[in-house]
Amino acid sequence: MSLDWQAAWQALVGHPLFGFALTLCAYQLSLALYEKTRWVVLQPVLLSIILVIASLWALGIGFDEYRASSELLTLLLGPTTVALAVPLYLNLRRIRQLFWPVLLTLVCGGVAATVFGVGLGWMLGAEEGVLRSMAAKSATTPIAMLVTEQIGGIAALAAVFVMVTGVLGGIFGPELLRLLGVTHPAAVGMALGINAHAVGTSRALGEGEECGAFSALAMSLTGACIALFLPLAAALIS
Amino acid sequence: MLLRGLTWLVVFQLLGTLLSVLLLPQLPGPILGMLLLLFFLMLRGRVGEPLAEASTNLLRYLPLMLVPPATAVMLHVDLIAREIWAIAGALVGSVLLSMALTGWLMQRLIERQARRRGEP
Repeated sequence: MSLDWQAAWQALVGHPLFGFALTLCAYQLSLALYEKTRWVVLQPVLLSIILVIASLWALGIGFDEYRASSELLTLLLGPTTVALAVPLYLNLRRIRQLFWPVLLTLVCGGVAATVFGVGLGWMLGAEEGVLRSMAAKSATTPIAMLVTEQIGGIAALAAVFVMVTGVLGGIFGPELLRLLGVTHPAAVGMALGINAHAVGTSRALGEGEECGAFSALAMSLTGACIALFLPLAAALIS
Repeated sequence: MLLRGLTWLVVFQLLGTLLSVLLLPQLPGPILGMLLLLFFLMLRGRVGEPLAEASTNLLRYLPLMLVPPATAVMLHVDLIAREIWAIAGALVGSVLLSMALTGWLMQRLIERQARRRGEP
């Protein structure tokens, strides 16, 4: 009896859930590696992306095929972005006491991160598509991707910029802030949340509860502000 | 419970999409949905149990959902390779600069507020 390996392989790779399964496996593997090493660079999302890309290349599968068979996950991204309103609302209720410091820092920090990113990229000679994908990097990934698409950048590039920024900020942020004499937990938390999103917030939680709370607050507020103002600013400029 | 919360979220996303197409093409649908839900929560003054459950559960898997769309970077490998130094410089430089600025500013503002409250 001869088995039809060719047909079996085609049925596997061509299955409508193949991309879904591949993503889940890559994510589980990345999570396990991260849990084991606790190494900040091994962020599960970044590692999963690398694993998925490597698998697709090795198997000779194009991105369009993968996208079609992983659509189940992408469809949920919309409602999940809407769900960000819940932590945002809970965080907003918490800031009453430091309202003005938080608001001022948020606006300055959000503008600074965007202007420094785009400005440095421009000085170093990056082309326009890269610059447009750089602008939203202080927002959390789902927001940054939507905004970037809106302002004519490459959403996937923005996602990677956001993730790399988070890792860089999470690694160097706490030490940099200590060197500068920034010691108040709310200040450390704000700086980490505005600039390093989720990775920064998990570092901030390690520094203490107040620090973590302010980081989560800063992360969701920065995301909302960038979502609201960056497309409008871009529409005004161009 | 989970399904009820999910219903709210999907309805708000679709409302956001309607609003985006009809009135505010500058803002994407899910983002308008998020802002609409935020206003709704502010008016209501609390987060209901079903919504809290659905959002907590969905947000827990957010990183996983980001993998497929972010994998599209594989289509732009040439661009990244060509611009790698500009990208690296801009990312590293800007995160350090604005991290330093925001931390320093927030610390100053907190100290100022504390001083003001100290002297009536």
